[in-house]
Amino acid sequence: MKHFALALAAASISSFAFAQQPAPPGTPPGPLAPPGAQPAPAAPAPSWQQGRSAEHASSPLHPFAPHFTGRPASQLPVDKLKLPPGFQVEVWIDGLPEARSLTLGDNGTVFVGNRNLTDVYAVVDRGGKREVKKILKGMKAPNGVAFSKGTLYVAERGRITRYDGIEGRLDNPPEGKVVIDNLDPTAQPGHFWKFLAMGPDGKLYFNIGAPGNIVMPGYYQASINRVDPATGVMERVAEGVRNSVGFDWHPKTKQLWFTNHGRDWVSDDMPNDTLHRVSAKGMNFGYPFCHQGDFLDPEFGKGRSCKEFDQPTAKLGPHIAPLGMRFYNGTMFPAEYRNNIFIAMHGSWNKTSKIGYNVTRVVLDEKGGVTKMEPFLDGFLTDPKADPPMWGRPVDVLVMRDGSMLVSDDYNGIIYRISYKK
Amino acid sequence: MALLAVAPFMAMAATPEALCAACHGPQGNSSNPAVPSLAGQPKQFITTQLVMFREGNRKDPQMSPIAASMTNADINDFGTYFSAQAPKPAAPQVDPGMLAENRRLAEQYNCVQCHGPELKGQQHIPRLAGQQAVYLATQLRGFKAGTRFDMDGNMTSAVQALPEKDIEALAQYLAALQ
Repeated sequence: MKHFALALAAASISSFAFAQQPAPPGTPPGPLAPPGAQPAPAAPAPSWQQGRSAEHASSPLHPFAPHFTGRPASQLPVDKLKLPPGFQVEVWIDGLPEARSLTLGDNGTVFVGNRNLTDVYAVVDRGGKREVKKILKGMKAPNGVAFSKGTLYVAERGRITRYDGIEGRLDNPPEGKVVIDNLDPTAQPGHFWKFLAMGPDGKLYFNIGAPGNIVMPGYYQASINRVDPATGVMERVAEGVRNSVGFDWHPKTKQLWFTNHGRDWVSDDMPNDTLHRVSAKGMNFGYPFCHQGDFLDPEFGKGRSCKEFDQPTAKLGPHIAPLGMRFYNGTMFPAEYRNNIFIAMHGSWNKTSKIGYNVTRVVLDEKGGVTKMEPFLDGFLTDPKADPPMWGRPVDVLVMRDGSMLVSDDYNGIIYRISYKK
Repeated sequence: MALLAVAPFMAMAATPEALCAACHGPQGNSSNPAVPSLAGQPKQFITTQLVMFREGNRKDPQMSPIAASMTNADINDFGTYFSAQAPKPAAPQVDPGMLAENRRLAEQYNCVQCHGPELKGQQHIPRLAGQQAVYLATQLRGFKAGTRFDMDGNMTSAVQALPEKDIEALAQYLAALQ
């Protein structure tokens, strides 16, 4: 069993973690504090308010929580969902509380992860009748699920485990074998959930998010990494990434593309959440110093320049919360949808007039530039000024073998299926 | 208490009153300072906590065995029931001057942002108004120590700023609210 090298460094990291407790607005960070650093801090703010400036103090904005017992589709306005002409959406299955990330088995099994809840589900489609099995229980934020060559991999907050031959053993799953451990040595308070995907290089890719809204991350945090499941050896793929919970590889170029959540509590409209393309080793996308490629952080950005960092490919909207994304590589949708990116926008909370709560289609040109970005599956948002503003929240998308697209909704514990017919 | 822990929970037989009133009081109005009132709590708060007890994210020697055999349907029913009960405030009427003065604590420590301007809660966020003061103070100390279950880290962070001397005053203030 290989252990992440941090095991030895855990002592020094835990002291660093204390420096990462929510820093009050106006107090610069640790050892590299610029000249004129302010003295003793005022009361630190809650983790999601951390970094908030004074004018936000009376804001009633707050994060939302899923309905953990799930809500039946029969009680929801599913008929309000909208798609372009020719596309239809149906409820594929409900009763999967906090359904999050999706992955597809060789035999058509759909595996579904949880974030706050502790289970991994398998959905088996027997010619239109779907059966749900809870195959793994009691896990710690099992948000990352990836299936490859007969094996299901699950990324919890602190480790990745593998379940070989799982599709033949859904009623009696094997004990998980550890691929890599000790990914959360400080029990970080925020962004500890992971997205997991198997790359074209046979390595498992995963994020390690920043531990709070706007803090100096530990050297292993605010990053995308990959691990070789054969050896347990881990490598850095990109850094300066506040939290990425969705990524996929372009079908032609095989480059990694990922979504990223920008910081909160600057303003309603800044900074944007972003879409990125990894085109080289050692890319640094700026967090915590520079956001969205061109916006210096009010605290950490003092004395820095955004020119030092790599740029995102696109701005997706402020606080829109992009999660899972996939390149469409099926043949059911019309040809102009091939190689488009579909992003599940979980939807904003840190914004007076809410946005997102949809699946967005992103069209690229041959050079990888964005030519069009538009809502594809819409209708979860009912009133942008209401609290809550929505009845459902997309988390991940999955392209099925027949070219249809599944969309998970953790707010209700439902998976929808989008299909196309001329 | 021991009786309740031993008796297996029969999903179809136990109503909220039958299962919960012994500790939480009739209609979820607790007269035990260490036990929270459930009356008038937002439904999504009750269901979230019962799920968290059941899944083992939140642990309590009394609640864990009780929640262990609750189905999602039970949990939804119990949430619906208690959210519809009329809350009776835990503390006797207090000096209005104290209320006004300690209101500033609820604002200073950002309670009103999530728990609402009258601390009546919303969605998955609990009602604090009229809650048992001893129970509240225990939760606050637990959050401060990092030992109390916290779904997303927000309460743990929020309470780091709260000094011990203000915990009692804040708990008394919240208990006195209607």
